Amino acid sequence: MAAHAHAESIEDSVYFQYETLEQQQETYILGMWAFLLTEIMMFGALFLAYTVYRFQYQRDFFIFHEQLDWKLGGLNTVVLLSSSFSMALAVHYHQIKKKAATLWCLAFTNLCAFGFLAIKSIEYGEKFKHHLFPNDSFVWDAALHGGNPEHARIFFSLYFVMTGLHGIHVLIGILVITTLMVLIAKNHRLITDYIPTEMVGLYWHFVDLVWIFLYPLYYLIPK
Amino acid sequence: MSTNTDTQDHGAHAHHVTPIGKLAATFGFLLFMMALTVVAARLPLDMPDTFGWLSPYFFVTNAIALGIAIAKAVAVVRIFMGAKYASKLIKLYAIGGFIWFTQLFIMFFDYGTRNWEEVRGWEKVPSSSLPRNRDSDAGIPYPVYPGSHAGSEMSGTSEASGEAGSGH
Repeated sequence: MAAHAHAESIEDSVYFQYETLEQQQETYILGMWAFLLTEIMMFGALFLAYTVYRFQYQRDFFIFHEQLDWKLGGLNTVVLLSSSFSMALAVHYHQIKKKAATLWCLAFTNLCAFGFLAIKSIEYGEKFKHHLFPNDSFVWDAALHGGNPEHARIFFSLYFVMTGLHGIHVLIGILVITTLMVLIAKNHRLITDYIPTEMVGLYWHFVDLVWIFLYPLYYLIPK
Repeated sequence: MSTNTDTQDHGAHAHHVTPIGKLAATFGFLLFMMALTVVAARLPLDMPDTFGWLSPYFFVTNAIALGIAIAKAVAVVRIFMGAKYASKLIKLYAIGGFIWFTQLFIMFFDYGTRNWEEVRGWEKVPSSSLPRNRDSDAGIPYPVYPGSHAGSEMSGTSEASGEAGSGH
């Protein structure tokens, strides 16, 4: 058990309000889970709004979703799943105190995050080019594609809000992972064990979770 | 293929080191399920009658897509996020997240039992700091779209928008 191996070196990092290291670590992780539940509240409301309109305008949503590139979306899914895997590996290596491997895994996670945003920006660029961003310049050619233009506006509003909010989370993830990498690399005194990596990992897996649902709901709408 | 790091199991919530083999297997599972959801969604498009006897068609395809998404989510939460190896308290939070999310959909009791109320699109209303449905009501018809349910009945009338759908 790892706890025996580094018990004496880590004993002094138990803060005074905790009885044991285990209690302290569980408190940190529980706090992270509580934060993630608030994130579910935020995204959950959007998923609910999506469901209301999808339920009402299923036919139209099928027509609109053909404007989204399921191949790029699928590529992004693979990229995010890979980043989640490397993030889990980073936690694994940090637990067994392999600093270099931890940093490499975090770097790969960050690389995937950048890749995700790059692909997403290509998709967004296409939508802007085709006047599908729901602002004043929004144009939906109902004669060409079919579907109700007003419902198209609803669909693309939901699409941009939900994937945009998710994209902001990816962006924040990049900042947090980069900060973590710097702290680990500098042997900063905040990093006494693997818990900071675990907490960043929990956040990153949550971002992955949201995309796991966004992908089929937007890119793979059945007829 | 796993290393010998997976040594402790007796401690209820001491830090569990998930072996690499387990993480890799989970990753493989996620990729497989991702491919499966694409195939499930794309393949029947050319032959919509294939599953015709499983009516209604879109209910089945949606159930498949969401079932796969939920299976992936459970794998991520249990293995990657470590809920499987965590204390009961953290498990409670993880399960609570799922329960909370499904509870949101209780709202559909409301949507399912009342009429869908068509309201005027915001872009048709001149921008104003005044409250909507009061000064700006006069002379601005409800938009009429081809295929809209209530547009023709409601256009030009000055029914209070909150009650507009309930009479029909």
